Amino acid sequence: MKLKIFVPFIVLFSVNTSSAQNLKSQFDLANNLFKENHFFDAITEYKRLLFFDSAKYYLADAYYKIGECYKAGTKFDDAIKYFSLAEINSIDVQKIFDCKIQIIRNNILRRTTDRALQLCEKTFNDERFNIKRDTVNYWRGWAYIFADDFESAALHFAKINHNHELKILCEQTDNAKLSVTFAKVISYILPGSGSIYSGNFFSGLLSLTWNVFAGYLTINSFLQNRIFDGFVSGELLWLRFYRGSIQNAEKFTIEKNLDISNKALRYLQNEYKGIKP
Amino acid sequence: MLHKLQSKIVILLVLVYFIFLNDFTYCQSTNSNNLFSPENRLRFGNSLYIENDYLRAANEFKEYLKINFNDTVQFKFANCFFKIGRFQEAADNLKSLFFSSSLSEEAKLLYYESIFFHKDIKSFRELFSQKKYYPLKYDFVIERMNSILLLYDDSTLPAPNLLFKSFPDTVQSQLNNFYLRKKFPQNKSAVTAALLSTIVPGAGKIYTGEIGDGITAFFTTLLSAYLAYDNFKSDHQFKGWLFTGLAAFFYGGSIYGSAASAQIYNAALRFNLDKEIKLFFEQRNYFLPEIDY
Repeated sequence: MKLKIFVPFIVLFSVNTSSAQNLKSQFDLANNLFKENHFFDAITEYKRLLFFDSAKYYLADAYYKIGECYKAGTKFDDAIKYFSLAEINSIDVQKIFDCKIQIIRNNILRRTTDRALQLCEKTFNDERFNIKRDTVNYWRGWAYIFADDFESAALHFAKINHNHELKILCEQTDNAKLSVTFAKVISYILPGSGSIYSGNFFSGLLSLTWNVFAGYLTINSFLQNRIFDGFVSGELLWLRFYRGSIQNAEKFTIEKNLDISNKALRYLQNEYKGIKP
Repeated sequence: MLHKLQSKIVILLVLVYFIFLNDFTYCQSTNSNNLFSPENRLRFGNSLYIENDYLRAANEFKEYLKINFNDTVQFKFANCFFKIGRFQEAADNLKSLFFSSSLSEEAKLLYYESIFFHKDIKSFRELFSQKKYYPLKYDFVIERMNSILLLYDDSTLPAPNLLFKSFPDTVQSQLNNFYLRKKFPQNKSAVTAALLSTIVPGAGKIYTGEIGDGITAFFTTLLSAYLAYDNFKSDHQFKGWLFTGLAAFFYGGSIYGSAASAQIYNAALRFNLDKEIKLFFEQRNYFLPEIDY
């Protein structure tokens, strides 16, 4: 008699356990696909899990994983959407922090630096994450690296550690960069010198030669009292080369700086062992 | 006896509580306990379809259709491909619905739409002329699509009253305007432009509508020529030849530039008209009926 009473309980318990087991297996299946880098299929299986998990037990985890899949597939907008959903549905403070950091990292990757910095500021000032301020500063530094502002990046890495590897790298990169204003100013004084300063010797010398030649023609015209001729030569020839030398100085310096930044980014991408966005 | 009855009632109540509150939802949602059963695939596919996640929905419908045939699911399966721009696959998967299905007319319409959006003008014309898989219920829609393709294409246009008869009255004047501009484009002649610039430097540019460029070409050529003449006159041979070269360069450039400008003008005219026509139909969803699939 007593055994009969427990039969419905046992049946219900086994059904419940079986359903929960099914969802657990589904979560494992999706995780395996994720580990094997089958991100499209992994998203499908996480979505299937979300659809059948009416108890919403896996909600936050599945959303987080979907975000990771989209991030891996460089679909940053979708990734941010799912990390936000994971954040909303998380109770655990660590999980909420992870979601926030992932959103910041995706913003860094999609080059919405202002948004990334805004989120860093918000997270930094959140009292729940007081002990994680170094992490926030770390990603602030990365946001500045992606915005090509190595000076600010170095300042934020220094807040973590004065000998931080990335602080040193950012300082070196910033110091290696050339001044665009300086290149332009010296080109105003001596045409072609800005190009030489940025490492384009041949272009700089050529620019100087053209300027000397056009200047000679212009001055010669004025000396011979051929005023109109002098003005036309000055405007059509000399000024054209003079302006060109200044423009070239600016262009070459920007290109050189871009090379320096790209070199640093290549190092970070291929050699740096720490966490990257 | 009473005590026994009471304990039975208590157990029963606990059981009811267990059923309704203790994760009953698990049992409800995964009633078949197999997330990959055809029924569950269909439910999941439908939810993905509603979320506009058509590629994943198509995969679910495909698996469902391997075991069960259902014309609605088959239609949705084809529509998934249509929605993600895989028009050929959409067309291929619609064919099984053309006969003995309650959705045959809609399937035929979507089939024509697939060919239309695939920009397979040749196949569309063949189907239209042979009235093959023709959805009689949506006869006017197919006629409109054919007219739109004719307007897009560079082939000979039929008379406007025939071409636009299936369109609403409210857009007839705009369509006639497109028709006239397509049939009689206001092109500029490259030869005329070059000849004009040969006579007066920059005149060809002014003819093609580039007034600023034309005036600049005229004055730079004139100025270079004058400076060349003046330098030769003053016995400055080097500068004389320098400005002669410049004058010749500007003169030649003006002639060549005028001919090129006429060609650019014609290409821009055609490009802008095509863009305008495309935008006009796009904004009106190609006059396709709003059917909630």
